[in-house]
Formats: sequence, structure tokens, C-alpha cells
Amino acid sequence: MDMEAKIEELKRINREAEQGGGEKRIEEQHAKGKMTARERIDFLLDKDSFQEIDKFVVHRCQDFGMEKKKVPGDGVVTGYGTVNGRKVFLFSQDFTVFGGSLSGAFGEKVCKVMDLALQNGAPMIGLNDSGGARIQEGVMSLGGYGEIFKRNVFASGVIPQISVIMGPCAGGAVYSPALTDFIVMVKNTSNMFITGPQVIKAVTSEEVTAEELGGAMSHNAKSGVAHFAEDTDRDALNRVRDILAYLPQNFRERVPDTACADDPIRIDPSLNELVPTNPRLPYDMKDLIRKVLDGGVFLEVHQHYAMNMVVGFGRLNGTAVGVIANQPRFLAGCLDINASMKCARFVRTCDAFNLPLITFVDVPGYLPGVQQEYGGIIKHGAKIIYAYSEATVPKIAVVIRKAYGGAYIAMSGKHLDADINFAYPSAEIAVMGPEGAANIIFRKEISDSSDPGATRERLVEEYRHNFASPFKAAEVGYIDHIIFPEETRPRLIRALAMLREKKTSLPDRRHGNVPL
Amino acid sequence: MSEINAPMGGKVIEVKVKAGDAVNEGDEVVILEAMKMELPVVASASGTVKEIKCSAGDAVDAEGVLMILE
Repeated sequence: MDMEAKIEELKRINREAEQGGGEKRIEEQHAKGKMTARERIDFLLDKDSFQEIDKFVVHRCQDFGMEKKKVPGDGVVTGYGTVNGRKVFLFSQDFTVFGGSLSGAFGEKVCKVMDLALQNGAPMIGLNDSGGARIQEGVMSLGGYGEIFKRNVFASGVIPQISVIMGPCAGGAVYSPALTDFIVMVKNTSNMFITGPQVIKAVTSEEVTAEELGGAMSHNAKSGVAHFAEDTDRDALNRVRDILAYLPQNFRERVPDTACADDPIRIDPSLNELVPTNPRLPYDMKDLIRKVLDGGVFLEVHQHYAMNMVVGFGRLNGTAVGVIANQPRFLAGCLDINASMKCARFVRTCDAFNLPLITFVDVPGYLPGVQQEYGGIIKHGAKIIYAYSEATVPKIAVVIRKAYGGAYIAMSGKHLDADINFAYPSAEIAVMGPEGAANIIFRKEISDSSDPGATRERLVEEYRHNFASPFKAAEVGYIDHIIFPEETRPRLIRALAMLREKKTSLPDRRHGNVPL
Repeated sequence: MSEINAPMGGKVIEVKVKAGDAVNEGDEVVILEAMKMELPVVASASGTVKEIKCSAGDAVDAEGVLMILE
């Protein structure tokens, strides 16, 4: 055959590979509101940037008649391309081929592209849509998963890893996303679980649908396994682009600053009114965050989980930052088990990828309760302290209102080597609230008095006046400066600029032992 | 049918809706006093209030049912 004929033949083989499992299965995918593996890649990546590899790989199974059923690509599309001009590597599982199930060959394809991502220092994106292990492959598919999981761990903290769940992701397959930095799920068409509804019903007689058990909102709101819940495939892929904009290519780099149209010395008098005069009234911490960040743009992460804690990305004068804040509207902004995990995980993600941490504090303490204690609030709460202490990125905190007890220390307290700690005039930095403190310190005086009720009230007010303020902390340098709320943005931006070249390190060891 | 539950134990300060009202996800339906603060309980789903199961002054436990929506 001459070259022309060979070229025509190659075109034909390419088209065959691009058909995946064929027209009918593609229609079935579309009918469910799902894009195909290749359509997703085209939508996610910059136009014409995708370079596919291993397009013609087929499985090597010789059992169960599989040798007669080979499909080029074997159910996964792998390669590299760009997102907003930045190099990324990806795999996109093809549900139309053998249900997107993983074989030894499929596993090797994914491992190859993960190895390339790691060696070339660029983000790895996984588009998951798979029935799981290809049973006919037996132990080879387990090996395939194992090799992938190991690479997720070796890449953890080296390159950003983002998982998008766009179909089923069940059994062992869930562990790869679980080991990545962020999980985005599509509502109604995706789910994750270790054991599915049928097995659960058989073993425990519990009845539950796949969506209830492991759908996007179950994992976003209940388990906290997933960080984003999107309505459609397109929304989910756009979300990946949003997330990538705040992450560097790898841990050696910082995400580049962007041009900032928002005045870095913008004074906002409305911040003076944000904290209600009545201490019993909450306010929405997200209002404060949006008033301070560039353009009011805040990419909230884990929005539906532990809503008493708010985390997400934004920019200050063009510099990408991680924002953490207590949310007084929910559980009075208390720290509980879920909030502790949400916070600590986000802090460590930011630290891994050189993102400064900006923390807004309004926390009355840890949530009391037997459930919390039995649930291990002790070790989960400790995770926040561990994460902030371990972080060597710039750490700036602003105490807005309450900062009591252990929670004061945990929320980017000065003692955990936060770099700059501001407080509003409304800050109440104390070992505990005035009522609790007065009851203990003045127990005798109150019980001995002729009118204990009035005495307690008076002593509580005295304590509130003298101690529930930022001044005791400022007098000993635990707070670096008490600021006017309206100047929050310029203060943060100047502190951030000062800390730009910060260099610090932790003592040498194999690795710390974070409470898990 | 769905329930709106108290997110933590506390005292009902104000019930902001009545049976028959339409609520949207995110609307404040009850004000609960807990941890010395007056905290909004928001509807986690949209619907019509079928039955209010609390009144101002009641003490409620965490997860206690405050109202039923349909």
C-alpha cells in the first residue's frame, strides 16, 4: 500500500476509535443528559489543544470470549491539552465501551498519563463515568486500580488532582477520586459508593436509591466526600476550569497573579455596619468575604457541607488566596467535627499549593454535646490546629467578633505562627464568654451576695467590658493591630505584599503524625 | 414531604411561617436561640408548610422536627 492508502486507512481507524461503543450507546448516553467521553474533553480543554495518546490500545483478556470483542481505546480516552493556555493531563472514562469498566490495559493507559503529569509538573484531571472493574479481567483490574491509587498518592501535593464524577463510580473505583484534591459531582447522573443499593438491601435490608445513597448532594451535604455539586456535565467541566484558575501547575510554582481592576486601597464603610450591635444577632460572613475580595469574586468550596465553616478561593490585589471563615448564621459559627475536617483539609490543600491563608474569625467555641464527644471532636478539632501550625504559607487572620478558648487558638491564632493577626474593635478575645467566666471567677461573690441575680449581671457586664474585647490580646501582642472594619481590604493587601517572600520551614522528620 | 429539623438544641424564639405558606429553599422559617445567639433555621427544600410542630418558647433538641413541608 502506498502512503495515500495508508493515510486513508489511518483516518478510518481513527473514526472507529472515536465512535467508542457505537451510535446506539452514544445516543443512550445523550438520552440520560450525559456527554460522551470525547465531548467532555472537547468542552473542557482549549479548542484543538487535545493530544490523545494510546488511542489504539486494546485489552488483552483471553477469557470469556473477550478476545473477540476488542475496542480501540478500551473504554478510556487519555492525553493532554491546555485549559486557558495551561498544560493539563487527563483521562475521560467512556461509558459506551464495556460500560467504562476498567481492565488491565485501561489501567495502564491511566497510569501512563498520570506518570506524564507527575514528571512534567502539571494538573491531572479525571473524568469518571464507569461501571467499575471489568469482571472478566479478574485480578488484572484490581491491579489496574491499585497502580492508579498509588500514583494518586505519589502525586498528592505535587500536582493538583481534580476528579469529576459524571456517571457511576462505585466500589474500589471511588478511592482514586477520594485521594485527589477536589471532587466535582453532577446531580442526578452521577454517584459514588463503596457498596450500592442492591448489596446494602441484601445485607442490612436498608432501602435506598442510588441518588440518595451516593448522589451529588448526599456527598456534598452529608458525607463531605465531594466539594461541588453541579447541575450538568457542562457546569461541572466549567467548574474544573474555575478551580484550576486558583491552583498552580505544581507545588514549585505559585498561581500567577492576575490584573486587578478593584482598587487595592478601597475603603468600605459598609463594613462598619456589618457586625450587629446586638451580640445575639448573626450576620452573613460571606457578605464580609465578598466585600473584601477583588471584585467580590469568591469561589466557595464545599458550600453544602458543615455550613458553620466557609472555605474557598479568591484574590486580593490579583494574588490568589485561600479564605477560611466561621459562619455565625449556622450553629453560631461553632466548630464541630465536620467543620473541623472541612477547615483542616482546605488549609492543607492551600499550603500544599502555595496559597496564602486569609482567616476571618467569629467563633464562640467548639459545639458542646455527647454526639460530638463520642464522635471524636477532640481529634477532629485537633486537625485544625495541626493544619494551621504546619502551614508555612503566609497566614493572616482578622478576628471579627468572638474568639473564645481553644477555638481562638485554632482559627489561625498567633501562637500557631500566624504572621499577621488583626482584630476589629468588636472582637471578643477571651478564654470564654462573659457569662461562663463570671460564673466561675466570681462564684463565691455571687453566691454570698444578697441578690445573686443582680450581682451576677453586674459582674458579667464588668467582665464583658474588661475582657471581651481585643485590647487584652493586643496589649500582649497576640493581636498585631486593631483595625477599622472599613479598611479591612487595604490592610490585608498590604500584609499580603509584605509576606510575599516569606520563607520558613518545619523541623526535619519522616513526616508528622496528623490526627486522623 | 420533608421535615425541617433544628440544627442544634435550643429554644424557639419565633416561627416565621404558618400552615399553608409557600417556602423556597433558603427561606428563614424559624428563629432558634442557641449558644446565646438568635439563629435562623432555613428551609432545605421548597414546598408548602403542611404542619408547624413548634411554637415560640419551646425547647427543642438537635434534629427535633420543627415543621413538615409538602
